Amino acid sequence: MHSLDVLRNKGIFAGIDMLRIDIQSAPPVVKLLCSGRIVLGVEAETLRCMATSRPERRVVVDLQQIHAMDAAGLGLLVELHCRAQQRAGLLTVANPSSCVRRLMALTNLESVLHVAGSAGTRIADDDEGERCAMTA
Amino acid sequence: MEHEALASEFVFTGDPAAMIAVRDRIMDFVHEHCADEQQEIDIMIAVQEGLANAVLHGSGNDPSKIIRCLVDVTPEAITIVISDSGQGFDTAVATDSTDDGTNLTQHGRGIYLMRSLMDEVSYRRGGSELRLKKLRTG
Repeated sequence: MHSLDVLRNKGIFAGIDMLRIDIQSAPPVVKLLCSGRIVLGVEAETLRCMATSRPERRVVVDLQQIHAMDAAGLGLLVELHCRAQQRAGLLTVANPSSCVRRLMALTNLESVLHVAGSAGTRIADDDEGERCAMTA
Repeated sequence: MEHEALASEFVFTGDPAAMIAVRDRIMDFVHEHCADEQQEIDIMIAVQEGLANAVLHGSGNDPSKIIRCLVDVTPEAITIVISDSGQGFDTAVATDSTDDGTNLTQHGRGIYLMRSLMDEVSYRRGGSELRLKKLRTG
């Protein structure tokens, strides 16, 4: 099946589940597991609000399930990276999907952002901590 | 069918909330005529950037402003023309935020992405009309 058909079936093009963020908190680290798309508008604003409101100093944004991103989404990652640096924190982009990785390579952001696979950033399933989710 | 030229026009307002739905309608039309998955993804990202610029910069997020998007499909290429009613901009000074010195800015990647993903990107009417072209390989 055409992978874009898969996106349609998931409602990506139909405006359903535009962005879902599952939150795993194990201070001083919080992991934001994003699925859907991070594009200009409510999705980017939702991730911005979520990431900037967290008290943890290390924020891991997992992008494995992100199927679409635009320049606004890339700019948001840069914004969050700079904000973390200013606060002596760290923003890690974890498991970028092939779509996200390609855009980051095109815009030379792989050399700027802290990008990691699952090994270095995983919050284990049995970790104690807050878990919740929100959808934009 | 393969040698037929097809076109569809999409008209919408400068409302950011409506933009994604319009993009999806445009991509539904593109999907009917694009057999190459990677090409379709490239077009989707470029259209997203073009529409975002038309809404944000060309229309100032003003729902009273009209944006037109014409999608033209020929056997050789898919061409998308996005027109807004704004004043346009000086395309010569469009920024490129991919250099090391400017890489930490939060803006300026949209035009670069479009130019990277499409075969032709050009502006007319002082920058208020964007023309994106993707050659068909599939």
